[in-house]
Amino acid sequence: MMGMKRKLSFGGHLLVIILLAAFGLWSWQAAHARTHLRVGTFVGSAWDVPSSDGYAVMDTAIKSFEEEHPDVDVTYVSGIKPEDYEEWLAEQILAGTEPDVFLMPDDDFEAYASMGAIRNLSDTIARDKGFDEEGFYPAVLEYGRKDGSLYALPVECAPTLMFVNKTLLEREGIEMPSDDWTWQDFYDICARVTKDTNGDGDLDQFGMYDYDWQLAVTTNGGGLFDPSRRACFFASPNIEQCVQFVMRLKKLQQGHEVTSREVDLGKVAFRPFTFAEYKTYKPYPWRIKKFSDSEWDCVRLPAGPSGKNVSPVSTLLIAMSERTAEPGLAWQLMKKISMDPEVQQAVLEKSQGLPVRREVVLSAAKAQWGWGSVGSESVDLEAISRVMDEAIGHPKFRDHRAAIIMAENAIQEIYAGKRPLSMGLHKLQKEVNAYLQR
Amino acid sequence: MMEIDFFLWRSLFKAKSLAGRLHQLLWLYNGMVVVLFSGFYYVTQHKIIEAMTAHSFLQALPVLPLPADEVVALSWLSFGVLFVCGRIYHRQDITQSGRYLALLAETIACLVVMRTLSLSYDGLVLLVVADLMHRYDGKNTGGLLVGAMLLLFFLADYNMLGFLGGVEPFDAYAAYYNSSVRGVLSALKSGLSSVNVVLFALYLVMLIQNKHQEKERIQSLNEQLESANEKLRLYAAEAERTAETRERNRLAREIHDTLGHTLTGLAAGMDACMVLVDVAPQKAKEQMEKLRDVAKHGLKDVRRSVKKLRPDDLERLPLREALTHMVKEYADTTSMEVKLSIEGWPEAMRQDVEEVIYRIVQEGLTNANRHGHATKASVTFQMEEGRLTIAIVDNGQGCKEAVPGFGLRHMQERLDLLHGSLSCQSDKGFKLEAVIPVGQGAKEERHD
Repeated sequence: MMGMKRKLSFGGHLLVIILLAAFGLWSWQAAHARTHLRVGTFVGSAWDVPSSDGYAVMDTAIKSFEEEHPDVDVTYVSGIKPEDYEEWLAEQILAGTEPDVFLMPDDDFEAYASMGAIRNLSDTIARDKGFDEEGFYPAVLEYGRKDGSLYALPVECAPTLMFVNKTLLEREGIEMPSDDWTWQDFYDICARVTKDTNGDGDLDQFGMYDYDWQLAVTTNGGGLFDPSRRACFFASPNIEQCVQFVMRLKKLQQGHEVTSREVDLGKVAFRPFTFAEYKTYKPYPWRIKKFSDSEWDCVRLPAGPSGKNVSPVSTLLIAMSERTAEPGLAWQLMKKISMDPEVQQAVLEKSQGLPVRREVVLSAAKAQWGWGSVGSESVDLEAISRVMDEAIGHPKFRDHRAAIIMAENAIQEIYAGKRPLSMGLHKLQKEVNAYLQR
Repeated sequence: MMEIDFFLWRSLFKAKSLAGRLHQLLWLYNGMVVVLFSGFYYVTQHKIIEAMTAHSFLQALPVLPLPADEVVALSWLSFGVLFVCGRIYHRQDITQSGRYLALLAETIACLVVMRTLSLSYDGLVLLVVADLMHRYDGKNTGGLLVGAMLLLFFLADYNMLGFLGGVEPFDAYAAYYNSSVRGVLSALKSGLSSVNVVLFALYLVMLIQNKHQEKERIQSLNEQLESANEKLRLYAAEAERTAETRERNRLAREIHDTLGHTLTGLAAGMDACMVLVDVAPQKAKEQMEKLRDVAKHGLKDVRRSVKKLRPDDLERLPLREALTHMVKEYADTTSMEVKLSIEGWPEAMRQDVEEVIYRIVQEGLTNANRHGHATKASVTFQMEEGRLTIAIVDNGQGCKEAVPGFGLRHMQERLDLLHGSLSCQSDKGFKLEAVIPVGQGAKEERHD
């Protein structure tokens, strides 16, 4: 018994010594090791437009961050295309190897936030005095929110504006629409420009391309979904008015399906475009490639009878992994990307999106910022900033995309006259509600 | 000596009963199931990632699943903890609080394993319950057993937990495979649970049977003990009788050797005296003197013999101390509680009176223990008008009719010689009362 006790106490001492040694080694290493922070990003533009320098913004942010934190290395896996990014990220999350901070695909935001893959930032924000929510455009910040809590920060954004073929309007003697134009003005101009210019009996000049019911809904007061009740309101008079308006516009074209080729050839007066597309195709060389002999400019979207001249805005989000080992540093990096004026300036200069910080856009506007290459001209960033202040984010609840696809199909049938408008929308509402509440 | 039997293989061979072996089989089986399930999650997760369907897989889940490596590591580790806690729980040499702690740790480890395996296998609950049952001894632990069981089943209920926080369902993983594989998987899943339930039921049956056998064994042991006791009692009585006979023989021999010898000598001497008294009176006188010496010598011998018959204690000690010593010794050897109180004590007593008193107390206590099966007895001495009263009261069964046995009769006889009296009554125990006159005369006679 005594021998055993002695043996035991000897073992105990040995254990304590080993533990102490391990702890010492660990703390020594912890004190000397460099911290590693991983970022999940993709190459190229988030806005489905060509991009020459895919990692410009991220590289700017990382360089500046590493200068401020000399003991931290920030890395990312390069070469992931935007279309592969969703799956790549899902695989990383499933394997538990997701980066500390990563760009968040819109469609997954809701799911990842509710399953606890990304971190709720509320507490971090509450502790961080340096975080200024007011400096963001409201809609883009709102986009990273779920149930009142922020889960992601905006990186860049792209509002949708109306492209106007200035050359065509001048030729027709029509003035550029003002910022407060309405559906009626829009319809009137479309009606005036839709004609047969070469006298071959077929229409060859049109009012609009790609203007769809979703834009109409946004500019007519919205209210298509209520995510909290998981309900949609396709049969409401507002929505019916929107679909009807698009049908009227289509009717002007007498069954002709306008193509993007016709837009490029300068035969279409209006086309809704995102700011990213505007930024891409406005300067040389894309301008020359795409629009050979027309001058284009952008205005706000026309306002519906019960809406305003607002723009839908897409936002690129960045989120923090719930499992990150360095939440403090990850948060600093997120703030660097999303709030730092230098990085946000890089968004304006090197990416296709628009900065999410109002001050950055306004100071660039003051500096008469232009594309800076041959054949370019200055952009009215001040006007765009005003658009952004009122812009509206997309709905992003879990089944949103599927619901929109269902609606798109049904409304196409209504356009084609296969279904009566009112009844078709009623049926659609029922179907989508059943899907959402399944 | 304590032996650390944390290792299954060693304890497998240590278990003697069938229930014990089944218990270990249950452990082995559940360990295998944990390995199987964690392996399934591991392989499926890797397959999903290889097939590049992680995105749609995640979309179908309500919560973030644990990474495959963590599932394997955590489930094995916590199963190991579960096992070790189970072993500790079964140790004989741990305190009650230590046991509760082990049980708590076991419960927590069980929940961790089940959570890591997405609650797709709840057989571990039965394992913990089996552990509890194994240790179940019927006192106080009944409530604990039921409580732990309810808690485990409550927490292990998939739907309940799904409602509270949500777990990733087994089906989401199974959905990766085609329908035929899915069928096999779900059959395997329910099959594994069923086998576990069968093993558990078998274990319970064996356990009950074991307990029953144990009970029977104890009963038969009890009976054997009883009969051995009875034999021992008979032997004791026999031995006593033998001792008595031997004592009687010794007494006879003593009388024969001393008194007989002296008396024979005296008788012969007296015959000679009778002849001499007329012929030579002077010679007869001398002879008579010699005879007186012989008689005196004989008396001395008798005294010596009587002394030899006295109890040892009485020989060595005064009566009071001898009584105290005897009572204490008796109480020690029989574990009967005996109280001796002396309220009155005569100034002086003859040796034979002392001996009778000593014998009465001895016999009374022996009776209280042997016939009355008493656990307590008190001996009280009182002095009143030249009469010493000895009362021996016990809390034994007494006897319905005080039939004077051997012991009582002896006592009576001894007391008669001293003109004393004996009375006894039996009512909730036995009360024996002896009264002995101890007069003034005692003093003179003692000097003799």
